[in-house]
Amino acid sequence: MSVLRHILPAVVSALVFLGCWESYVALTETSPLVLPAPSDVLNGLRVERAALARHAAATIGVAGIGFSLSVLFAVLVSVALHFAGWLRRGMMPLLVASQTVPIVALAPLMVLWFGFGLLPKVLLVILVTFFPMVVSLMAGYATLPRAFRDQLVSMGAGRWQVFRLAALPSARGHFFAGLRISATYAIVATIFAEYAGARRGLGIYILTAKNNFRADLVLSAVVISALLTLTLLALIHLIDRVTGRRHRRATHA
Amino acid sequence: MLEMQGLTIRAGNKTLVENLSLDLVTGRLTCLIGPSGCGKSSVIKWLSGVLAPELRAEGQVRMDGADLPLPHPAIAYQPQQDTLFPWLTIVENAALGLKIRGMDGAAAQRKVRALFPGFGLEGHEDSFPDQLSGGLRQRAAFLRTMVQDARVLLLDEPFSALDAVTRLKMQDWLTERLAEDPRAVLLVTHDLFEATQIADRVLVMGSRPGRIIADIPITTPRIARTEASLADTRAMLKSLLLEDLS
Repeated sequence: MSVLRHILPAVVSALVFLGCWESYVALTETSPLVLPAPSDVLNGLRVERAALARHAAATIGVAGIGFSLSVLFAVLVSVALHFAGWLRRGMMPLLVASQTVPIVALAPLMVLWFGFGLLPKVLLVILVTFFPMVVSLMAGYATLPRAFRDQLVSMGAGRWQVFRLAALPSARGHFFAGLRISATYAIVATIFAEYAGARRGLGIYILTAKNNFRADLVLSAVVISALLTLTLLALIHLIDRVTGRRHRRATHA
Repeated sequence: MLEMQGLTIRAGNKTLVENLSLDLVTGRLTCLIGPSGCGKSSVIKWLSGVLAPELRAEGQVRMDGADLPLPHPAIAYQPQQDTLFPWLTIVENAALGLKIRGMDGAAAQRKVRALFPGFGLEGHEDSFPDQLSGGLRQRAAFLRTMVQDARVLLLDEPFSALDAVTRLKMQDWLTERLAEDPRAVLLVTHDLFEATQIADRVLVMGSRPGRIIADIPITTPRIARTEASLADTRAMLKSLLLEDLS
């Protein structure tokens, strides 16, 4: 019952939105070149499913590699910044500055520098996604209560032990919050990178569809992209649930 | 016997604690009482090796005549907050000190588990801290302190978070545990009723700067400690503390 109560409003509002859209297109006889009806998009998904699957697979590959490396990179950088104050003071402005660069400008340059292969796309995904995770991790380490640290130090723990036994577990909630924010960027950043130049991927599919005036196929690819992001978020949620039984006590106690 | 001599703690130009000396003997519970902000916690933190880095301290600690570097395994510290990690079970929490000192995880847990019945924690081994009442959490925290086998225990306001009834029960409980397994204990409190109830000796700290203004042995046997028998001592302590505040 409660599941129904949670999901029902979302389903109803989505159906109403799509219904209005469909009727608007039918009543005004808008050209599908400008605004395809939801039924056209659905039809596009059905007809082009093989091509969409092939391009989506390429996008998943790039996003998967980029995002995984980004998580690894973020954890390593956050640990280094946590332990070295001078590094933190030196690097933070640079990291913040890296977030002010518009991807639109950077994506073509990446292709220019690194070619049409995997590297420029992976780098772009890392650049876009790692910052929220680094910031979340740093904030998480800082939530370690002073008394917890004192307790461990009085027991003879060194800095690394304090970090591993207390700071790292304290940062878990923040880490997953950062991971969720970054995950919403991962697929979008990949598509952006492909848009700037690629052989395969949803980005290049969208570009080709747009050049052929197939708005329905552009939107079909957008639907796939949204589904990919939602799947990634669900996966992260699942990992959090499965691995974090004892940690949820800390936040919901 | 642990001797601390000439402890002075400064924050910038301000002297928080001045030339404070005390000694702790195995089997004796010494209470350090004084008004809030007199530096009681700073003394105990310095002895535990966890004084805030912005404070400067000088002083000496000797154990049986030999200099002691801080923090030292012979001294176990229990902060005011019970500091049980919410993501660890009670057994894992209690074994933490042993693991840090290098004991194998399984051996540490065996040693800790064996103590649960004696601490009234049987059946709570694999519970998480948030499943325990305040009194039980305090027992778990004390188990963690005791199991480290340190000769000196430093307890910072161990009962301050408990309700009045639990507090009284826990005071008796603590003195019983210490009778079974004697240590040299320094317990910080701001409650003179508590101090006179459980201590063998009460050190009274004055403030601005923190220093010891009275050293009062409590000779009445614990079993004979009542409102009436302690009335004179409490009245004296009260006037000493009020005098310091004025």
